Amino acid sequence: MAAGALSRDVEAGGLGAWVRARPLVVGVVAVVLLVVTLILGVGLGSVRVAPAETIAVILSRVFGIDIGVTITPATEAIVWDLRLPRVLTAMLIGCGLAVAGTTFQGLLRNPLADPYVLGTASGAAVGAAIAVLLPIQLVVVEFGLLHGLAFVGALASAWLVFRLGGMGGAGGLTRLLLTGYAVGSVLAAVLTMAMYVSGAELRQIFSFLLGGLGGSSWVRLIVAAPLIIGSSVLIMARGRSLDGMLLGDAAAGHLGIDVSRERGILLALASMATAAAVAISGLIGFVGLVVPHVVRLLVGPAAHRVLPISAIAGAALLSAADLGARLVGDVPVGVVMALLGAPFFLFLLNRSRSGYQL
Amino acid sequence: MIAVAPGAPVLAAKALTVGYAGRTVIDAADLSVAPGERLALVGPNGAGKSSLLRALTGVLAPRAGSIDLLGEAVDQVPRKKLARTIAVVPELADLPFAMPVEEVVALGRLPHEPPLTGLRPTDVAAVDGAIERIGITGLRRRDMRELSMGERQLVFIAVAVAQAAPILVLDEPTTHLDIRHQVDVMELLVDLNERDGTTVIAVLHDLALAAHFFPRVVVLANGRIVGDGAPTETLSAERIREVFGVDPALVRLPVGAA
Amino acid sequence: MSSADRRRGVALLSVLLAAILGACSSGSASSPAASVPVVAAPSGSDAAASPTPSPTPAFPVTVTDDEGTSVELAAEPKKIVSLTPATTEILFALGAGDRIVATDDGSDHPEQAVALPDVATFSSVDVEKVVALSPDLVVAGGLGFTPAESITKLRDLKIPVVVIYAPSVEGVLKDIELLGTATGTSADAASITSAMRADMDAVAAAVATKSPKPRVFYDVGYDDTTGAIYAPADDSFLAEMVTMAGGDAITSGDPNTYEIPLEKLIEKDPQLIVLGTNPFYSPTPDAVAKRRGWDAFSAVRSGAIKPVNDIEITRPGPRLPMGLRTLAAAIWPDVTLPSPS
Repeated sequence: MAAGALSRDVEAGGLGAWVRARPLVVGVVAVVLLVVTLILGVGLGSVRVAPAETIAVILSRVFGIDIGVTITPATEAIVWDLRLPRVLTAMLIGCGLAVAGTTFQGLLRNPLADPYVLGTASGAAVGAAIAVLLPIQLVVVEFGLLHGLAFVGALASAWLVFRLGGMGGAGGLTRLLLTGYAVGSVLAAVLTMAMYVSGAELRQIFSFLLGGLGGSSWVRLIVAAPLIIGSSVLIMARGRSLDGMLLGDAAAGHLGIDVSRERGILLALASMATAAAVAISGLIGFVGLVVPHVVRLLVGPAAHRVLPISAIAGAALLSAADLGARLVGDVPVGVVMALLGAPFFLFLLNRSRSGYQL
Repeated sequence: MIAVAPGAPVLAAKALTVGYAGRTVIDAADLSVAPGERLALVGPNGAGKSSLLRALTGVLAPRAGSIDLLGEAVDQVPRKKLARTIAVVPELADLPFAMPVEEVVALGRLPHEPPLTGLRPTDVAAVDGAIERIGITGLRRRDMRELSMGERQLVFIAVAVAQAAPILVLDEPTTHLDIRHQVDVMELLVDLNERDGTTVIAVLHDLALAAHFFPRVVVLANGRIVGDGAPTETLSAERIREVFGVDPALVRLPVGAA
Repeated sequence: MSSADRRRGVALLSVLLAAILGACSSGSASSPAASVPVVAAPSGSDAAASPTPSPTPAFPVTVTDDEGTSVELAAEPKKIVSLTPATTEILFALGAGDRIVATDDGSDHPEQAVALPDVATFSSVDVEKVVALSPDLVVAGGLGFTPAESITKLRDLKIPVVVIYAPSVEGVLKDIELLGTATGTSADAASITSAMRADMDAVAAAVATKSPKPRVFYDVGYDDTTGAIYAPADDSFLAEMVTMAGGDAITSGDPNTYEIPLEKLIEKDPQLIVLGTNPFYSPTPDAVAKRRGWDAFSAVRSGAIKPVNDIEITRPGPRLPMGLRTLAAAIWPDVTLPSPS
C-alpha cells in the first residue's frame, strides 16, 4: 500500500513512540503524580506547618497513633479540617470533570466538547442565581440552597437539551450540540438579568461562577463522592460502547451496541458527574476539555485507557492547581490551571508530529 | 459455519415492504439467501438497495412482511447475537480523534468480547487475522485519519472481517478504490466465501464486477426485485437497457489474475 | 422533535423566567441582613446604666448578629480578628484594639490597625491564616462582604463569627453596642453610642429647620467609558446621611440598584453635587463639570461641586458624626454647627 507522504510510522518516533507503546507507564506516572500532589497539598498552604506536625495529625486522626509530636488544635484544624478535605475534593472534582469531558467528546464525536457543552454550566449558574435571590435559607447536610439549586439547574438544563435536541439520534449530533448552545445562551441571558437585578447579592453569584474549592469540607466530600465516583466507574464500565460509537451510529449499531440507550445512559452519567462537581465548586473549566486530549496524545484514544488515566490526571491537575492558587494567594483556580496546563498542552501538540495527533 | 437445517435459508425476506414517512421504498419483495451464498445486489440510484440492506440487517423496521434470520424474526434477535451473525462493513466515517488502524479493526470484536475485561487472546488473534487477510499489515500503526479513502475502505472491511460473522454484508465497498484494489476486494470476498463459507451479500454499482465475481445477481428497480439469478440472465443486454436505461456492450473479459 | 416536546421545553423556560422575575421582586425586599439586629445581653446594658461595674458577669453571653445568627461566646474574647475596616475602627474605639490579632487589608484606621497582619482581601479570606491564629472571635462583614463560605468554614471549626451589617445609621449604633457586648466593653459602647447620638442629633437639628432643602446628589461613582453614574440607592445608608445633613437626597429610584440613568439625573436636577472622595475614586470638580451631559445640572452651572471625605461619611463606624458634620457643612456652609461633644 502506498504510504502517506505526510506522516511517519510511530515506530520511528523515539521517546514519543516509547511512551505510546506503554500505556501502563503513563498510568503509573499519573498515580505517582497524584500521590505527590496529595502530599504537597496537605503539607503546604498559606500557613507554614512543619512536615512532622502534618504527619502527626494524619497519623493520629487516621490510625490513632501518637508519634509524640505536639500539635496545637489550630494546626490540627488546618491540616485535617481545611487542607485534607480541600485536596481530596479537588481530586474528586478533577476526576469527575475529566471523565465527563472524555465521555462528552466521545459521545458527541467532537474534540471541542467539554462537560459544559450541553448547557450544564448555564443551568447551574441560573440555579445558583435563583438560590441567591430567593429569600430562603436552607441547609441540608452542609449543602446550602445554592448548591442544591446549582445541582438541580445543571441536571435540568442537560435534560432540557436532550429533549429538545433529539438525543443525537435522528436529529444528528450537530443538532444536539447546537441545542446545547441555544439553551445555554438563553440561560446565560436569564442569568445576566438575574445578576443585573440582584444588586448586592451579585458578589455571591459571581464568586460561585468563578469556581473555587474554598467551601470544601468532609461532609460535602462524603455526599458528593458517591455521585462522582459512582458515575465515573459506571462510565468506565461502558468504555467499549464509547469506542464503538466513534465509528458512527450505524456502525456502532451493527457492532451490537444499542446506540440510543448507551448514549442516553452515558449522557446522564456524565451530566450527573458534572452537575455534582459544579454544585460543589462552581464552574471550573479546562480540566474537562484538555485533560482527555493530553491523555489521548499519550496513550491513544481507546476509552478503556483514556477514561481511567484521565480520571487520575484530572484529579492530579486540579489539586496541583488549587495548591498553586492557595500559595499565590487565593487566585481563582481556573486561572492557575490554564496557566499550568495550556503551555504543557501546546508543547505536547507541537511534539506529536506523528502517531497520535489531535 | 452455521447450524442450519439443510436447504433452509440463512436470511429470508417475505413480502417485505419498507418505507420512510409516506414513501414506499421496497414493495413486497421476496428474497431468500442460502448459507454460503455469494450474491450481488444491483440497481439504479434510488432503487432501494440500501434500504433493503438496512431492513435485512435489522436496522429498518419493515412496514409489512417479515425477515427471518436463521428462522428467527430479525427484530427478535438480541443485538449482540445479531452482531455476531451479520457483519456489516461500516460506512466511511470521519473519526474525531486519531486512532491507529489496529485499534479500529479491534472494534470489530465488540460483539464478542466480554464488556469489562476487553480483548482476549482469541480476539487479538481474530484482529491480526483480519488485518493479514485484507493485506493491510503495513498500515497497522498508522492513524486512520491520514489514510487515503481506499485504504480506509480496506480497514473498514477488515473491521467486518474481524467480526467473524457467518454473514458479511457490504454496501458499495468499492466506491473509492482504484481498479486494482477493486479486484483485490472482490477476490477477497470470493476467498472468504469459498474458503470460510461466509455468506456474502454485496450492493454494487459496478455491473462488471457484479457479473464477474458473483454467481447470483439480484436486480432491484423502483423497490421491486426485477431479476434474481445468474448474471447471464439478470444482467443481459435487454435487462440492462430496461432497468438502467443505457445501451451496454457486453464483452467477456478475463479480469485479474487467472 | 415533537411539538409536545417543544411545548414542554418552552413551558420549562417560562417557569424558569417566572421564577427568576418573581424571586427578584420578593427577594429584593429581604436580604439576609435586613432584619434589625437585636442585642440580647441584659447584663451588658445594666452595666451601662450604672457607673459602678455591674455584679452580673458579662460572659458567657449569646449575641444575635446582623444576619440573625446566635453566636455563643463562652468567655471574653482575647484574640479578635476583624474582617472589615468599619468593625476594626469600632473595636479600637471600644478599647478592644489591643486584642485584635489580625484584620483585613482595607483596615486603615486608626494607625495601629495598619500594622496588624492582614488575613483577608476585598474578595477573599485566608481561612488557614485565621485558624492559625486561634481567635476566639471573628467579626465579619455581611451581605457577602466576607464570603459566605469562609464564614461557614470558620463556624464549622467552632470559631465564633459575628456578622455585622448596618443598613442605617441606627444600625451602626446597634452594631457598636453588639460588639461592645461581644467584647465585654458594653460600658464603653454605651458611652460611645450616646455621644454619637447626641452629636448627630445636634447637627441634624441645626439644619433641620433650614429650608428649602437643596437637591443633593452624592456622587458615588462614575464610569468614564460608559458614562454610567452611581448614586445612593433608595432607603440606603447614604441617602439617610444626606437627609440628616439637611439635603434632599437624590437616589437611584430603587432600593436594589446603585446606578442612575443620566436622563433621570437631569430630570432630578441636583443643586449640589457632593463628591465622595476615597482612594479609589477622587475626581476633581473640574473633571466632573466636564462630564458629558452634566452641564444640564444646576449644580454644574453654579459650580456647586464639593469633594468630601467619602470614608468618614460611608464607613459604618465611630467616625460617623464627623462624616455627618462634613456633609452638613458642605450642604449648609453658612450654618454654624454645634461643636462636637
